[in-house]
This record gives sequence, structure tokens and C-alpha cells, in this order.
Amino acid sequence: MSKQKTAYPVRTALVASALTLAVAGSFGAAPASARTINIMETGSSLLYPLFNIWVPAYTHSHPNVRINTQSTGSGTGISEAVSGIAQIGASDAYMSNTQIRQNPNILNIPLAISAQTVNYNIPGLNDLHLKLSGPVLAGIYDNQIQYWNAPAIQHLNPGVPLPHHRITPIHRTDGSGDTFIFTQYLSFSTPYWNSHVAYGTTVSWPAVPGSLGALGNPGMVQSVAQTPYSIAYIGVSFANEVKDAHLGTARLENRAGHFMLPTKATIMAAAARLGSKTPADERISLIFAPGAHSYPIINYEYAIVSDHQKDAEMGTAVRELLTWTINRHEGNAERYLRQVHFVALPARISALSRKQIAKIR
Amino acid sequence: MKLRPFRIALVLITSLIPLALIAILVFLGQYSWSAITFNGWHFLYGHIWNLGNLYADPIMQRGQLAPIGANYGILVFIVGTLLTSAIALLLAVPISIGVAVFLAEGLGSNLRTILSFVVELLAAVPSVVYGLWGYAVLTPLIAHSIGPDLRSTLGFLPFFAGPIGSGYGLLAASLVLALMVVPIIAATVRDALSQVPLETKEAAYALGATHFEVVRRAMLPTVRGNIIGACILGLGRALGETMAVLMVSGGALNYFPGNIYSPISTMASFIVSQLDSAMQDPTGMAVRSLAEIALILFIIAVITNIIARLLTGTSRNVSSV
Repeated sequence: MSKQKTAYPVRTALVASALTLAVAGSFGAAPASARTINIMETGSSLLYPLFNIWVPAYTHSHPNVRINTQSTGSGTGISEAVSGIAQIGASDAYMSNTQIRQNPNILNIPLAISAQTVNYNIPGLNDLHLKLSGPVLAGIYDNQIQYWNAPAIQHLNPGVPLPHHRITPIHRTDGSGDTFIFTQYLSFSTPYWNSHVAYGTTVSWPAVPGSLGALGNPGMVQSVAQTPYSIAYIGVSFANEVKDAHLGTARLENRAGHFMLPTKATIMAAAARLGSKTPADERISLIFAPGAHSYPIINYEYAIVSDHQKDAEMGTAVRELLTWTINRHEGNAERYLRQVHFVALPARISALSRKQIAKIR
Repeated sequence: MKLRPFRIALVLITSLIPLALIAILVFLGQYSWSAITFNGWHFLYGHIWNLGNLYADPIMQRGQLAPIGANYGILVFIVGTLLTSAIALLLAVPISIGVAVFLAEGLGSNLRTILSFVVELLAAVPSVVYGLWGYAVLTPLIAHSIGPDLRSTLGFLPFFAGPIGSGYGLLAASLVLALMVVPIIAATVRDALSQVPLETKEAAYALGATHFEVVRRAMLPTVRGNIIGACILGLGRALGETMAVLMVSGGALNYFPGNIYSPISTMASFIVSQLDSAMQDPTGMAVRSLAEIALILFIIAVITNIIARLLTGTSRNVSSV
């Protein structure tokens, strides 16, 4: 055989070695032992900070599981869980009856109880906790109450030097569970809002000249901080950011007519009143709970999960993760929930959640 | 007939482009057809966008299953799109022509090559980068300095008076769009200017024109068709720009801008920001209405291009890209 000389020996050698490495690499990628499972979680920006605290703790004890978290809004959480792109969709909003009918395999599993604050930025008044009620907030977002010193607001806050300045209401542009619980509070407390705007992860916000839309809870915090005389609804897991930005937190009127701040006591009071009514599929609103000490805007943080995962291994991994999160000594322990100002699930609810988790295959 | 297979192959490959255009049109039309029948002409002149009550059961309305209270009107977004593109072009065109003239006529060959390269590089910057810069730098600047300055100098015009707000709005979106459009127009016009025949310029000099008069009277009229073509390219980019506008426009819903600082929404940015919410609609009517917005944006882009063709058809172009 005559020795064949290639025209470009170095180049050929480089290409050949690159190809061999690529082929060998693709075969050697998966080691024979325990496969890494990639779980994708996406959705609620309200649950996102808590999930980010959970992930390092969980993967420390379960090294073969990798969890990717994303903050994209509850609407995306629901749609990606339904379409199967994400294994766990985080949502502050439960799915509607029609959505459940269309997707009977989807479970709404509460993981914790969270709350929402109404924050404002009035120069000089951010240290006071202004008293606001559902009808007043509905009026602000409806362009019927336009100035901070309007009689309706002054009436709730006698003696406070409210400025004569237009209010800039800020709402979420993305499909948001925060919008859902805020508009539920407005709907349940204000019949006019209920009949004209109602509630949802997105609503047709009435035209208020100058009102802004923000993306995600971080966007809400930033918009309020940058816009004097504005008002927004922000998840309680961002309370630290709110404090750093020196924004004011409002006292909200509950069903009994008292004005409450979201503390562990007021959240648990509301949960105790409505939690007993939670059905087996755990889709229930905890908004505007009765009780003298209840905080009016609290909600279950849902994991939207399909009850048939792509294989048995993934099903087991998702089940183990969710069981860990609702365990009082693990995910639902004080040391995690305290950082985001959430409250643990009551025993009856975590039992219901456990039953739903068991359905995941 | 040796060339026959070559011709056939050539025809097939070149027809891929108009076929792709028609395919997009057909897909959009077919996907949004139920929304088109549901919305009718009201879609174009209604200014309320309402997804309806997503948590109640949907009902049959106008022959389609849709949520109760669903009512889609996009006049606000059409106005937002047209306003931002118009203001962006108003700002960008004089600047780009100035840049192009300077690059083509005002520099020595070394500096010309380097600076032309820099201008073309600006066109390659991803739009998200412009959006991030707008979000972080431009909006506070508008809120604290540019806005108040504009209001104090041009405040006698109602469009520039009124509350400045937080900086997110029409002015921010238009400035970001102008920034993105300048390199496109400048590079195209510079190319055209550099290809003006030497005889034209020499003839003008021979008649005693100054350098500026040569540019103004001999060169620019020759490339008028190219300038209009470049402006249409820029307009096309401005009409379709999504991410950068989304980050600085303020996401207005259901109201028209009262002044230049007011928050707005454009069609493209609205589709992105509303897609997740629209997927919550179990009937699918919301997503199809978003597709209808995309169809209308597509039609607007095609119409502006046709108008441009008609405008440039009457003047002779310098043969260039």
C-alpha cells in the first residue's frame, strides 16, 4: 500500500481528534451509577425567595437531584406545569374550575401560607402605617380616588398630613398570583369592583392616567421606590427589600373592620378561620377571612404538579421533594419560613397535601 | 438545455423567501381566525383590553367560546407603536444623515474605516442590552434631568407639559428606539454616499460649489431613494422592537398617553408581556387575540414597506445594497 499523504495534515489531525472527543464524550456523559435528576421549578415570584432557600438545603441531603428555579410569575408557573415543561409550577393562585376540567391530571398542592402587603412611597410618610381599606384601594385603582388627600383616605387616617398629589397605582404586567390575591381582596370587599373588574392572574386594569405596569415582585419594589406618591401590592417575601427601600406598609382593613399588619399572628388567625373549609383538592381562597385579628390578604402557595411524571424516577424525585418541603422539621420549619415571613401549613392542611402528593407517579 | 436543472433549482430556492412570507401570513391568519370572527372590526378601534372573568365558566358569545366579559381592543397599542416609531424616526433620521455625511465626506480614509466599523457595530448590539441600559440609566435620567429640562423649555406645548412620572414611558421608549435605528440608517446612507459617481461630485465642484453645497445639492439628492429605503429599514426595526421597549415603556393598559412622559404599550411589547396571562384563558381566545395583534403588526409592516417602494419608485437610486 502506498503511503497516502493528506494535503493538510495538521488540520486533518485536529478535526479528527475533535470528532473523536465529541463522540467519546457523548457516550461517557452518563456515569453508570445514580443518575442526576433535573427538576425544573418555575413560576410565582412570591414563592421564589423561599424556593431559593430550600434548594441548597435539599440538595445537600439529596446530592443526585438538581433543582432549577425561575421567577416568572404564577401564570407562567401554571402554564408550564400544564404543558410539562416544568415539573413544579409555583403559583399563588389556584387553577379555575374550567382549567381543572381541561387538565384533570394537574394537582394544586399548598406548600406554605404566604401574605401580601400594600406598599406606598409618600415622601415623609413612609414610616407611618397608613390605614387603607379594600373599597379605598379599589377606588385608587379605579381612578375614582385620585389624590392622596382625598376625603376617603383622610377619613381613615385623621390627623395625618396627606399631600395633595396624584396617586400613581402600580400593577403587575405579567400573569401574577399577586394580582390574583390582590384583586380577590378588592372583589370580596367592594361589590362595584367585583362586578366590573373581578379577579384573576390578570385583569383589565381600569384606565388611570400615569399608572405603571411592573414585571415581577422585584419590579414592583423598584417601581415604587423610583416613583414618589405611588402605591403597589408586593408579596411579603419581599419585606426585606421593601424595608431597605424605605417604603411604607399599609394597615389593611379586614372583614371585622380592624386594620392589620401582616404578622405571624394575624396570618395564622386568618388561616385558622378559613383553613377548616379547605376541600380535598385544596383549591380555596383565604382572602378577607373573618375574625378580629385576621390579616385580609393571605394565600396558600401552590405547587402545580402533574400526577403523572415522565418516568417513575422523576415521579419519586418530585414526591420526595414536595414531601420534604411540607415537613414541619424540614421545608416548613421556622428557620426557612421566617426568612420570607411565611407561615407553616396547619397539620390538617399538610395532611391533605400529603394525600395529593401521594398521587404523583 | 444544460442550464435547465440549474434554473429550476434557482427558482425553487429564491421562491422560498416569498413562500416563507406567505406561510407566516397563512399561519397567523389561520391561528387567529376564531379571534378575528369573535372580535370583528371592533378590535381595531376599541381601547379596552379585557380578558374577561377567567375564573367563571366561559360562555358562547358571537359564535365562539370565550370568557364572560372578554372584550379585546388594541387601539391603545396601535397608537403606542405608531407614536414611538414616529418620534424615534424624527429623532434618528437627521442624526443618521449627519453621521453618514460626516463619515463619507468629512474624514480621511483611515479614520473613516474605523468609525464606520464602530457605527456598524452599534447595529449589532442586542436589543436587550439597549433595554437594560434604558432601564438602569435612561429612565432615572429622564425623571430627574431630561424631563424637567424639556418641560421648562417646551412646556408651552401641551405635549411636553404635565406630570413627568417615573421616567418610564413614551420618551424613554422613543429614545431607546432612536438609538437602535441610527446605526442602521447611518450605515446604509454612508454606503450609498460613498458610491455616488465621481463625475457628479467633480461636476459640482467644477461649477464652483463649496464642499457643503456639493453634499447638499449633488450628493444627497442622488441618494434620496436610498435614504428613504434606509428610513424604512429603520422604521421596520422600530415597529417590531420588543424587549427594549418592554423594559422602558411602563406597560400602560387601557389609556392613551397624555404627554410625552406618559407610560405606553406597543403591540410587540404587549404580546410578550401578556402571553403568560393569555395562557390562563382556558378557551384559548386570549392567545388567539394576541396572534391577531401579531397579524396586524405584520400587515402594518408590509403596508409601510409598500408605501416606501412606491415613494422610491419615482426617484432613481444609486445602485447599492
